Amino acid sequence: MNILQIFLDYASALVLPAILVGFPLYGMIRKVRIYEVFVDGAKEGFHVAVMIIPYVIAILFAIGMFRASGAMDFLTDLLRPVVGLIGIPAEVIPMGIVRPLTGSGSVGIILDMINQFGEDSIFVKMAATMFGSTETTFYVIAVYFGAINIRKTRHAVPAGLIADIFAMFAAVYVVLFLFG
Amino acid sequence: MLNYIWGGLIVLSLVFALVSDLSDFIQDTYRNGKPLPVTVIFGENYSADALRQPVDVQILNRDLMSHYGDSLITGNTWPGVFLQTSAGQELRFAEGASLPEPLHTICDQTGQDDCRGTVRGTPISSNWQTTITFRPVRWIKMNAIAAAALDFAETAVTLALGLIGGLGLWMGLLKIAEASGMLQALVRFTQPLIRPLFPKVPKDHPALGLIVLNLSANMLGMGNAATPLGIKAMQELQTLNKTEDTATDPMVMLLAMNTASVQIMPPVTLVAIMGLQINQLFFSILITTVLSLTVGITAVKLLGRLKRYREVNS
Repeated sequence: MNILQIFLDYASALVLPAILVGFPLYGMIRKVRIYEVFVDGAKEGFHVAVMIIPYVIAILFAIGMFRASGAMDFLTDLLRPVVGLIGIPAEVIPMGIVRPLTGSGSVGIILDMINQFGEDSIFVKMAATMFGSTETTFYVIAVYFGAINIRKTRHAVPAGLIADIFAMFAAVYVVLFLFG
Repeated sequence: MLNYIWGGLIVLSLVFALVSDLSDFIQDTYRNGKPLPVTVIFGENYSADALRQPVDVQILNRDLMSHYGDSLITGNTWPGVFLQTSAGQELRFAEGASLPEPLHTICDQTGQDDCRGTVRGTPISSNWQTTITFRPVRWIKMNAIAAAALDFAETAVTLALGLIGGLGLWMGLLKIAEASGMLQALVRFTQPLIRPLFPKVPKDHPALGLIVLNLSANMLGMGNAATPLGIKAMQELQTLNKTEDTATDPMVMLLAMNTASVQIMPPVTLVAIMGLQINQLFFSILITTVLSLTVGITAVKLLGRLKRYREVNS
């Protein structure tokens, strides 16, 4: 375990500098006019950022309203008895609901849980595993599809949500198995 | 599906806000316009006609409980200011006073930094028993969802514009990689691994190399690099798209692999929050992420066969 971890630690620290230097260096060797080509490509960055704005606004404002309305608490209460039957503790339900919706929201939930249960608690471990093993699905969809103006997303949303829901259950069982 | 979820989020917010506000209205949760007994304690240098003087405001447990009909509220003594004006007498709690619910909510809604209420009568002793009446509070959740909508719309712009730097840097570097033949080399090298998942992308297409880079960045927990790489990969996939506004199979697959997030290194944010604890979670995250990725890929493959999700032009 340690060797793998150390290796990954080094890899993630060294990859970025290697790319930042390696790409232009290799380009220079292959006689590419690197400065001109770089600027040419970088121009697109601004364009893409502006292009995704409407998509991100659409997604985030709906999620913001939903959070502010208190619907989340209601949903938690509604799900509590149902997921309780298959061994999911009520304490981690908010995380399961919020994680696909907002990144900052789920960070807030973990911090709350650490305050409430302590860092060592099994609930915090479950929530952190959920956080670490999934992404904010709706934001990713808005950004990736927004950048190329895709509006008809086909099965991207259901597939993403199936994976998210599964990850929520898996996180609970895996943590129980490893630490329980 | 996104249409329904999006519409559902908006309609549900309205419904929940309405229900919550109406139940506040019916139960009169905030006792709008009803006076709450308080004791105003004046300091030593009390003067009857001072316009503004510091006081202590005491609210008793039993008064709070019977006023709001909640046996869990506890009273306290808070510092404040007593004001006399031609318009009447006002009591202001010091800024930042930690008031119990529902007082906290009531004061939050009035939009002032400090909590204020009107008091009646004239101070007769340095331990003056009187009543305080707060400004009426209504439509709390309705105001909240409207404010949140505006707030998050602004956040969206901040987030998107915040990507410009990273996007520009990566798009520039990738252009060099493309021009120098590096990307093509990466494609040739990795396509036996990656192409089975993206069978509709032609052999030797640069999109495959970008997908590999995007997934690797994800695995190493480099979220900042993963997004531009993913966007660039999507742009390449879009050049193969005949429908323009509809996602293709490879796009849905790439998206699912990103939302399921193949993370071997935990994301930086989580490392920052969890500190040393993260070492223990290394394996639980790895196992969960691999499982959910497998489920995500399977879901994409299976759902793609359903009639309603089938590709239009293929």
